Amino acid sequence: MTYFSTYSLSRSFGGVRAVNDATVEIEQGKISALIGPNGSGKTTFFNLVTGMITADAGKVLFKGSSIGGLKPHQVALRGVGRTFQITRLFREMTVLENMLVPVRRFGVRELLKDAVGGSEAARAMLWLDRVGLTKLQGEPAANLSYGQQKLLELASLMMSEPELVLLDEPAGGVNPVMIQRISGLVRELNSEGTTFFIVEHNMPLVMDLCDHVVVFDAGIPIAKGTPDVIRDDPKVIEAYLGG
Amino acid sequence: MLSGSKEAIGRFVKWGTLLLLVCLALAYPWLFPNPYLRFVGVMTVMYMGLATSWNLMAGNTGYVSLGHSAFFGVGAYFTGIMIVRFDMPPFAMVAAAGVFVGLFAIVIGWLALRTRDASFVIVTLALVYIMLLLAQGWRGLTGGSSGLSLPRMEGIGREDAHVPFYFAFLILLAVVLFTTWWIGRSKFGMGLVAIRGDEDKAAALGVNTDLYKLIAFVLSAGFTGIGGGIYVYWFSYIEPFFVFSITIGVNMILMALLGGTRSLFGPALGALLLVPGTQYLIGEYGSTQLHVVLTGLLLGAIVMVLPMGIIPSLRSAAAHLWSASSGASSAATCTESDEVAEGVGR
Amino acid sequence: MSSHLLLQAVVLGVLTGGVYSLWSAGLTLIFGVMRVVNIAHAAFLVLSAYLSWFAYTELGIDPLLSLFATVPAFFVVGVLIQRLLLARLRDHVTMMSVLLTTALAITIEGSLGMLWTGSHRGIEISYSTSSFSLAGISFPSDQVIGFVLAALTFFALFMLLRHSRYGKALRATIQNPDAASLLGIKTTTIQGIGFGLGLATAAVGGLILGLIHPFFPATHWAWIARIMAIIVLGGLGSVTGAALAALLMGVIESVVLVTLSPVWAGMIFYLVLAGTLVFRPHGFFGGRLAERF
Repeated sequence: MTYFSTYSLSRSFGGVRAVNDATVEIEQGKISALIGPNGSGKTTFFNLVTGMITADAGKVLFKGSSIGGLKPHQVALRGVGRTFQITRLFREMTVLENMLVPVRRFGVRELLKDAVGGSEAARAMLWLDRVGLTKLQGEPAANLSYGQQKLLELASLMMSEPELVLLDEPAGGVNPVMIQRISGLVRELNSEGTTFFIVEHNMPLVMDLCDHVVVFDAGIPIAKGTPDVIRDDPKVIEAYLGG
Repeated sequence: MLSGSKEAIGRFVKWGTLLLLVCLALAYPWLFPNPYLRFVGVMTVMYMGLATSWNLMAGNTGYVSLGHSAFFGVGAYFTGIMIVRFDMPPFAMVAAAGVFVGLFAIVIGWLALRTRDASFVIVTLALVYIMLLLAQGWRGLTGGSSGLSLPRMEGIGREDAHVPFYFAFLILLAVVLFTTWWIGRSKFGMGLVAIRGDEDKAAALGVNTDLYKLIAFVLSAGFTGIGGGIYVYWFSYIEPFFVFSITIGVNMILMALLGGTRSLFGPALGALLLVPGTQYLIGEYGSTQLHVVLTGLLLGAIVMVLPMGIIPSLRSAAAHLWSASSGASSAATCTESDEVAEGVGR
Repeated sequence: MSSHLLLQAVVLGVLTGGVYSLWSAGLTLIFGVMRVVNIAHAAFLVLSAYLSWFAYTELGIDPLLSLFATVPAFFVVGVLIQRLLLARLRDHVTMMSVLLTTALAITIEGSLGMLWTGSHRGIEISYSTSSFSLAGISFPSDQVIGFVLAALTFFALFMLLRHSRYGKALRATIQNPDAASLLGIKTTTIQGIGFGLGLATAAVGGLILGLIHPFFPATHWAWIARIMAIIVLGGLGSVTGAALAALLMGVIESVVLVTLSPVWAGMIFYLVLAGTLVFRPHGFFGGRLAERF
């Protein structure tokens, strides 16, 4: 059984096929990458998979059951978490409060329990400690630097204990030092059992971090394989360099 | 060490003030036994509860309801009709009004929350007129435009007629404040505030945004309905145009905004400041509509100048002073060093 | 129900619907161009009705002439409101603008009450109180004048939006403000003019209101609730959608009025609103623009 797969997933916007007949598989416990030129439908693919937009056709399977057509929160509760290309945080909430938003299980008792003072907050502090944001717990999220925001977004996502994490350009717009921190964290989390699927433009990072790469061009998966195979694939070179 | 003792003092002051306010509130009817002042007292506590109820939805999720007077009116009519037509026990019906209005709000909320932002405002506004038409048209039940008269509470002197209602509204206020406080600390509350910030992002983190909004809306409406129930038994009379006008809802909004929608006590503070003033204006210049103009101007001024309201503004001003007096705060220092490490990142 | 009476109802419905079209067009234009739900729109209608009434009863100026003053004045006021107030809102703009325009509505309502009390008023001019009949169908003059005025204004607005440079820039702004500003369109200017145009139509619409219906300061709430229902049906932000929805609602209202009762005629707006939200939350004529609202 494939861990996560899409089958013939398609979506057009006003006649433009943003994602076209995409069949993609990824394996449990690995770090996979989704690459492709700008506008090749990578973010749309993530949006389709997580239920942010609805597909025109196709299937999404996660651990043997269909998650296509579910609402975003249902996808999240099944264990598929995501971050956004341009970091999205609750800017008026404090760093700690941001950590307390994600929902692990849905239930009356879960929702009514004290988030600010209870075990949730303790769990949040562990994560903040891990990403080095402990001192900023009381700051509004809007006051963080962009790199810190990326870290917070990932840490808060981990509060919902996702099994599969989709990262949309985790290294976009941050400096090399911060990229190292983020990729180190991804590697750590992966060794602890989290599966990753990453959209990224930073090729050295992709080649270094990922076990498996899927290449999109014009909404269609054109190649897949290990970084070494992809690097030498003429179709990939054509897609990036050609017209 | 120093900050520890400062914290202890702060906590002492906070709880001390709260205790003092509770005592004052409990003693008010005997501190000011004058019937007019008691009347103003009931009005004030009523609006403190209503504004806090309205804010349960708006303050948390950012969704502004223009039509909370509809829930107030439905609660009032439900209680009135139960007492007059079915001879039910009054205060039990007041509680039942909360449940009834809550169920009613499930339907309305389901409709209003199907799309975001603008449609919600429009549905809540239209709701007031739907209810007005119903109350006028369904004569057999509501008495139509001539209204519904209720029997006055028995076994109580004219002097003390306001007292039981004062305490009924005070209990409502306490319950709503407690609920708001509880939600504010809960996972559920975190989800609600997240909805105000970024609905899609909240959903991606597992927050069932539609359900969260609906629950907040139903609670907010239900408490408002209870307020209407107490009100109708207190006034002994109800007619469509008074309860199903935008005014009562706008008053709630104005009070909540003035005090601060982001704080627990803000809406109640707003009501405490505004109701006595409004009552005075209506008493002195009621026929001139001056109070309407002032309501409009004040609402506009708050939106433009003090959108956070009094309490959060004071709080942030105090935080500013505090951080200025204690030098660079630790947070600032920490952000700075990280910023240096990031350099080109921005 | 005789077919004749039904035909009469449909004719009256079209006349009323034409007026609703103008009222809704202004409101939905304002929504489209800056995502502002102008709660004060009907308050401006009532304000214009009062101004025309005052000019006529106190100064003896024909209401149609007073339009030459009220239309430009409302336009300027609209631009000013947008530039000085709405454009300065920073956070949670949709909701804050709702509160701001609510404040405007209340201020206008209260001021009218202070100036001219809460009594019912109406503009009664010699040529508007008669009626004529055609093929057995009666046409009340006031409604015909209202319809013609509304149709002319709507047509002018429509031509402006369709065929002028400004209209192109405005439609671009409606579709995508960020992209429009990248193309060098001054979106704030466009929005200011958009709000001004919306209110200018309200100046004409208000005169029609005063000719046809009795009014008092607080009447605007009932009207705004109705036009809101119409623009949701038409798809928020769509001027053509609003016009079609308005005509439809005018006819439905009028038919319900003669077949059922006035209460149901009022109620039908909200039933249609509810139905729209259940089946087509983004309206029936809205298209892509309204997708996110």
